[in-house]
Amino acid sequence: MPWQAEIDELHRRRALAEACGGPEAVARHHAQSKLTVRERINALVDAGTFREVGKLAGKGTYDSGGQLTGFEPAPYVMGIAKINGRPLAIGGEDYTIRAGTGFGSDRRKGGQGGFIEDLAFQYRIPLVNLIDGTGGSVNTAKRKGYTVVPGYGQDGMERSADLLGVVPVVSAVMGTTAGGPAMRAILSHWSIMVKGTGHLFAAGPPVVERAFGQRLSKEDLGGTAVAVDRAGTIDNVASSEADCFAQIRRFMSYMPQNVWNLPPQRDVGDPVDRCEAALASIVPRADRQAYNMRTLLGMIVDRDSWFEIQPGFGRAIITALARLNGKVVGIIASNPMVGGIMDVKAARKQGHFTELCDMFNIPLLLFADVPGLMVGLESEAAAILREGVRARFIGFQVSVPVITVIIRKCYGVAGGGFTDRGGLNFKIAWPSAQWGSLPVEGGVKAAYKREIASAPDPVARERELEAELRALASPFRTAEAFAVEDIIDPRETRPYLCQFIDACQDRLATQLGPKLRAGVRP
Amino acid sequence: MARIEVKSEITGTVWQIKMQAGDTVASGDTLIVIESMKMEIPVIAEEGGTLVEILVQEKDPVAEGQVVAILEE
Repeated sequence: MPWQAEIDELHRRRALAEACGGPEAVARHHAQSKLTVRERINALVDAGTFREVGKLAGKGTYDSGGQLTGFEPAPYVMGIAKINGRPLAIGGEDYTIRAGTGFGSDRRKGGQGGFIEDLAFQYRIPLVNLIDGTGGSVNTAKRKGYTVVPGYGQDGMERSADLLGVVPVVSAVMGTTAGGPAMRAILSHWSIMVKGTGHLFAAGPPVVERAFGQRLSKEDLGGTAVAVDRAGTIDNVASSEADCFAQIRRFMSYMPQNVWNLPPQRDVGDPVDRCEAALASIVPRADRQAYNMRTLLGMIVDRDSWFEIQPGFGRAIITALARLNGKVVGIIASNPMVGGIMDVKAARKQGHFTELCDMFNIPLLLFADVPGLMVGLESEAAAILREGVRARFIGFQVSVPVITVIIRKCYGVAGGGFTDRGGLNFKIAWPSAQWGSLPVEGGVKAAYKREIASAPDPVARERELEAELRALASPFRTAEAFAVEDIIDPRETRPYLCQFIDACQDRLATQLGPKLRAGVRP
Repeated sequence: MARIEVKSEITGTVWQIKMQAGDTVASGDTLIVIESMKMEIPVIAEEGGTLVEILVQEKDPVAEGQVVAILEE
């Protein structure tokens, strides 16, 4: 074999790359309950499917005879693999090598505008970023001999942005993350953070201490309690790296390969005509009493098909991917267990999820029990109207079929956000439904102020007016006027929705491709 | 014997205490009702067990995420 020496050299170099940052660095990494990037990729993807690209990239050192004496691999590992049998692009920083910072090649392996992002874009396959790097370092100036304007040269963030319109992008925050990697964590369709080891911030504790004299731990500043539950910057929490991989595989199972394809169907053999008797009694008669919307929805969707997005943030709204008769649906539902009132966070969450589903041709089901927008000074100062109207604006522009199911309350600006004004405006209601511009209580006081004040017995007059209006509020009167398209027996909800979701598949199949939206969002 | 902390989903005031220490609790049972935003929000046991202690009294203010009861599996 004439090339034996070179082939041996190739394999020797590959083995050197396998060593990551060396045994000591790997041991330190493992001691923090973190896997190396190579272990992570293999744990995440279908067994044996990872084909690496650029394994030889790095910095070699040579003796005077030109023989390789040492090798530091590039701190980024990437390639293609399969998840659930479908190809994807995958990559991640190797934290065991100089904390995953760049290695100064002309072409980046990964990160914003790196080869792996170009590959996902050119091949139109999903991208998974396993993020464990802190981005730029002041040492770059030493290497280059000058400092750079952010966005100079290889910045490449525009490629990360382009990807969001064509293929699913998932980011997992698996270490302390700031700078460019933090931006890429957010430039994704769905993101997840590992509790305890994942952190995300604009700048870390030392910078915060210099600026404000405030001493915070990484966990206090950018752990899951802040970045996920309070800020909603990252969507979901993983309890461990293994849980993180399981959730990524799960999320990917609902996604199409790109915007030119429909999401994969998956029949679990759950009968379409399954009518759960408990649905008829889950909503209490007293409208002050809450009930569990997740339990309600769990009885309607395909068995084991429920996957919640942002479960801890903006909890007045529940957003989930699920399936009906095997087809993927996006669910937006009020959460009466926290009052169901739309606050700024819930509005942001609703708008984002609506866009996600629209982008990937996932029809939306909206389950309403919403008394209105959050009132009060705090809410007004947080721009509740702007956020609420923005969520509605996004709703006006969707091109996927939307079906509204009014479970109980549907009032005002927030209630309107549960309807499909841009499309068919198809609304079905349960017998427990009630709706209007605002609830009768309080509404009467505002609309009949003078009449109530001038009555001989103002309290009695107010009650009289309320009773009069309440009699008109029966949902059956609205159905008579065809101002709600149907009232259904709650037990029929699953077969009813399954049939319409089946029926809209041709619509979805004939509107594939990138979606461009005109206008300025409020 | 696993000790389970039961938390309130929401900030509000304790409206009713539905069960007492020593009671056997099934998954889905309402332990406490919190009043918040004019709604009655139940605190529900996600897992069954024996109720060890209710940590609040009627009319007490509670915060979101506050532990309000302890169960033992």
